[in-house]
Amino acid sequence: MKLIKIKIVNFGQFSNFTIDFDLPNSDIDVFYGANEAGKSTIVAFIKQVMFGFHLAKHSSAFFEDYKPLARVSPMGGSLFFENDDHELYELERLYASGKGSKLGTLTVKRNNQVVPENIFFDQIKNINGGFYADSFIFNQDMLAKVGQIQQSDLLERIYYLGAANSDKLLDLRDYFAKNAGTLFKKAGKNPPVNQLLKQLQDQENHVRASENEFVLYQDLSKDYKEQEEALNKQEQKQLELQTKYNDLEKIQKLIPSYEKLHDLKQQTKPIAFDSEQYQSAQTLTMQIENLRKKQEKIAAKLSEFRQNQNDDSNEKDLIQKKPEVLQWQTEYHNCIQKEAQIKNDEQQLLTLDPNLKQVAGFSQEQILKLQDDYRNLPNDKTKNEAADNSKPNSVMLIGIAAVVLGIVLLFIARAFGLLALALGALLLLSGYFQQKQQKNSDQAQRIQKVRQKRQAFENYYHVNLAHFDINSLINDWRQYQVQQQKLESTLVRKKEVHNELADLAAQISQIIGQNVTVDFTSVLAALDQLSKKLEVARSQREEQISLENNLAESKEELHDSNIKLKMIFARAHVADFNEYQQIKDQSEEQKEIARQIAVLKSNLQDDLNQLEDFTKDKEKSTQKLSKLTEELSLIQKDIQQTQSAIAEIKVKMTALANSTVVFAEKQKLANLRTSLKNLSADYLSDLVVSKWIARALDLASNERFPKMLITAKEYLRLLTNNRYNDIDIDKKLTVTRFDGKKIKVQYLSRGTSEQLYFALKLAFVEQIKDQINLPILIDDSFVNFDDTRVDEINKLLHKIAQNNQVMIFTAQTSLVDKMQLKPLTLTKGTKNV
Amino acid sequence: MKFIHFADAHLDSPFLGLSFLPSDSFAQIQKAPLKSLTNIVNLALQEQVDLVLIAGDTFDSYQPNPSSQIFFAHEIERLIQAQIQVIMIFGNHDHMAKEDLLVPESPFFKLLGNREKIETCSFTTKTGFEYDVTGFSYFANHITSDLIAKFPVKRNCYTFGIMHAQEKTSQNSQNVYAPFKLSELQDLNYDYFALGHIHLRQVLAKSPLIVYPGNIQGRHINETGPKGCYLGTIDEQTKQTEIKFVQTNPITWMQKEIELTEPLSKTELEHRIVAQLTATATTYFCLRIKGADLLSEKERELVQDNDFWQMISAKLEHESQLVDVRFVTDSHLEVAENDRKYFMQAEKEIFATDEFARISKDWALKDKYTDDLAQSDDFVEEVKQLAEVKLNSKLKGVNDEIN
Repeated sequence: MKLIKIKIVNFGQFSNFTIDFDLPNSDIDVFYGANEAGKSTIVAFIKQVMFGFHLAKHSSAFFEDYKPLARVSPMGGSLFFENDDHELYELERLYASGKGSKLGTLTVKRNNQVVPENIFFDQIKNINGGFYADSFIFNQDMLAKVGQIQQSDLLERIYYLGAANSDKLLDLRDYFAKNAGTLFKKAGKNPPVNQLLKQLQDQENHVRASENEFVLYQDLSKDYKEQEEALNKQEQKQLELQTKYNDLEKIQKLIPSYEKLHDLKQQTKPIAFDSEQYQSAQTLTMQIENLRKKQEKIAAKLSEFRQNQNDDSNEKDLIQKKPEVLQWQTEYHNCIQKEAQIKNDEQQLLTLDPNLKQVAGFSQEQILKLQDDYRNLPNDKTKNEAADNSKPNSVMLIGIAAVVLGIVLLFIARAFGLLALALGALLLLSGYFQQKQQKNSDQAQRIQKVRQKRQAFENYYHVNLAHFDINSLINDWRQYQVQQQKLESTLVRKKEVHNELADLAAQISQIIGQNVTVDFTSVLAALDQLSKKLEVARSQREEQISLENNLAESKEELHDSNIKLKMIFARAHVADFNEYQQIKDQSEEQKEIARQIAVLKSNLQDDLNQLEDFTKDKEKSTQKLSKLTEELSLIQKDIQQTQSAIAEIKVKMTALANSTVVFAEKQKLANLRTSLKNLSADYLSDLVVSKWIARALDLASNERFPKMLITAKEYLRLLTNNRYNDIDIDKKLTVTRFDGKKIKVQYLSRGTSEQLYFALKLAFVEQIKDQINLPILIDDSFVNFDDTRVDEINKLLHKIAQNNQVMIFTAQTSLVDKMQLKPLTLTKGTKNV
Repeated sequence: MKFIHFADAHLDSPFLGLSFLPSDSFAQIQKAPLKSLTNIVNLALQEQVDLVLIAGDTFDSYQPNPSSQIFFAHEIERLIQAQIQVIMIFGNHDHMAKEDLLVPESPFFKLLGNREKIETCSFTTKTGFEYDVTGFSYFANHITSDLIAKFPVKRNCYTFGIMHAQEKTSQNSQNVYAPFKLSELQDLNYDYFALGHIHLRQVLAKSPLIVYPGNIQGRHINETGPKGCYLGTIDEQTKQTEIKFVQTNPITWMQKEIELTEPLSKTELEHRIVAQLTATATTYFCLRIKGADLLSEKERELVQDNDFWQMISAKLEHESQLVDVRFVTDSHLEVAENDRKYFMQAEKEIFATDEFARISKDWALKDKYTDDLAQSDDFVEEVKQLAEVKLNSKLKGVNDEIN
């Protein structure tokens, strides 16, 4: 694209200003003008019409702010280009304040026909203003940036010329590079791959440390063996010591026995003792003792007997009365029988004659009276009178009874007896008076009632005159009286017998010292008792005699025994049995001693020698023993320590044997490695993709960069007249001097660095010329170029101009002269040239 | 005569890539190599073998943790009690001294070639069959010299070689595991060469047999398929040897793939994943999703999330787990037709070993592990796949925006 005309409507200080470039053989246009003449304004105009106005909103590489003048709207103008196909393009960009884009409105015309703008821009690879400014514009501001030029910047711009969608690919490349950068940094600590690397290294140390388990285990098992051996030795020693100790301790324990043996031996002495003789003595002594006791007993019994011997002649007399008593008993029985017989007969009589009953008690006189009365009776009337009289008074009878009772009671209870006697006497007295009274009244009646005498008789005698036979009655009464007399004599006899008996009973009572009842059975029993007592006394007497005989014998025996005993004592040289007893005890004691000695000797038999040694120096031996005890306790402690050490080792060994630490650490390491591997794959793939894209773009841009470098070197050599011949452009830009020294750009002189700048940028432009061919704008860039260098740049510009249009804006006349070209001169206030 | 050959038990080694699993799964994982070893010992007892060859890396470390040692000693004692001859060598991981082993002394247990001395031992089976075993144990983690040259000429009896080693490669840096040439081994003409070190089961030569039994339990997604030991039977007359692989691992790793041809809903995606992950025993799956660029970024994030894996795992049989999801894209990059060649060229250049090393240098230099990863083809491939998926996914967005 060749710029052939500039038409400024309003821009900077220019208004309605047109420049026609009509230089057929040269593509170098030189604009000459003093400072402030508008050179930079034209440079800015060219750039901004193509890529948009710069209204001070964006920072720019160089001064290019041109605000529209309020009264000269619209701002802008046109650029006219001709391409290799001789097509004419007009780019018109206008901006009216407040209208449309601030970049201005661009109209593109091809051969005066309005066409879409990309028709033009496709031909310059759609580069932007930055690209154009960086690549095609040379001015003081840009020169200052030479130190910042990096391969990447240059490449970037070259890539635009390569593959389709280069810009997007570049974004992708940057995206992946950035990703890679977040994953890993060469000198970083925080990116994840760096972190993993650190962890990995730590873990490797852990694994190494854990593998120490093996060494530990080996050490432990070595330790274990050593400790076991040590333990064996200690136990052996312990056993030895224990044996020694046991022996000594045994001896020590035997010492009392040994000493006892010694004592016992000293206690032995001969004792003469005949145990048979002793036995005899003992037996004899016992016999003597027994005899003595027996004699004492007999004597005691004898003295007792003697005390008990009383006169028993009374008893004997009494006993001899027994047949008499038996006779009395028979007699008494007979009396009782006779009495009963008599009473029976009397009863018969009374039964045969009822009247008898009334008169039975009559005395002879009464009977006679009755007889008389009866005879006096006219009839039967007398009969009763006698009967009346003979009738005993009942009160008297009771009195008698009471008297009898009183006598009896006197024996039993004296008080009652006296009372009964008194009562009996009273009754007898009153009975007597009563009887007398009655008699008196009966006589009076008989006198009064003769006629009724018979009746009275009957009443008086209580007889029935009708059956009354006085003779028979008297006869009966006589018979009855005979009987009565018999009865009386019997009763008398009975009484006598009884009295005899009572007398005897009293005697017996006195002798036996207890009351004997007055009856035959009791008396007989008492008599029997007496006779028994007498029998006992008799047998005692016999016994006494026998005892006395016995005593005599015993005394004789005692005497013999004593003699024998004394003989034995004499033989044994003892005075008495006690002494003999002592000798016997001594003898037994000696026997016991001998037995003990025998036992001890048999027990100690094996150790006697040692015992002798031990006792020789007892203190030393005891010390030896306590020393052994000490040693034993020490060795015991050692053994315990060793055992606990062994146990400890075993625990550790077991722990190690069961440990999965090594595996766990290794697995952890393996896991970390896996993580690192995966993340590294991620990182490397990102990195590689970015490199890959870059490389592909590089290839697509036809390796322009290396070629550009070659060109740049050539230009640098040209510009520096071979003082500098190599450029190394990577992260830092360095150049190689003729002498081979590499110099970083910041250490270059200003002039050299400007030459480098020119070389690189012109090489770049040269490199892209077939893709992007736009005018090179050089705005007063040679201020620091001395003449020699101006010559050199002149040569170079001419070389460049063969392919690219070069527009030089300068205030240096020397340069204009050197160029040997007619310049377009810009002066301040120029309106039209 | 019967024998068992196994190697690379790595008894206390962790599983890789399972950090998200619940801790009870870890107990199972930790016990898996132990269980596999027990299964091998059970097999030896059951088959009444005469010999068990253990070709190195029984432990993951030259300082194995005591619990693994004790466990191993216990298992070996079972063999000793059955009077089964056990011959063991140390590998580059368990480069220890014989004295450090906790296995009790027994004529039936032989640690061969202690401290890198090549040693030959002669034995006779119960039936009177004589055989020699020659080999050596590691004492350092690297052996750079070729020790085969020092192996003795075989006697006139059946001869086993046993060695923990890796075939010589063109890269010298890798020739640190007693490097050997296959032809050298063949020239020795031992009847059976029992190798260890390579975890992939393989028979390097059939006559005579030169065998890697692989490891006894896969530990990560690159150790897929059944793992266990070889059971060998020797015809005592002809000395012909037959070997049979016996699987003993409790957990199998497996890769599965689903291919997406059009965008699909989350439910459909789950359904398809579960349908693909069928297992007959405990299996840890790695899923490759082909056409992953058809998933939205959110879907991709979801599918790569541990919680999502756990949710899927809950639907799998035999306590199987989905433990890894990888994206594969095979579609063309969504760039302008004219530019595609530049992108392909750029990819080729970027992933060229040197260039990738240059790009990843800052990261790789951080740790030995990252350095190892940077040099691992698998890892670079993983990064490449991920890069493709990421870029293409974005490019689609770019084009969507434009269209």
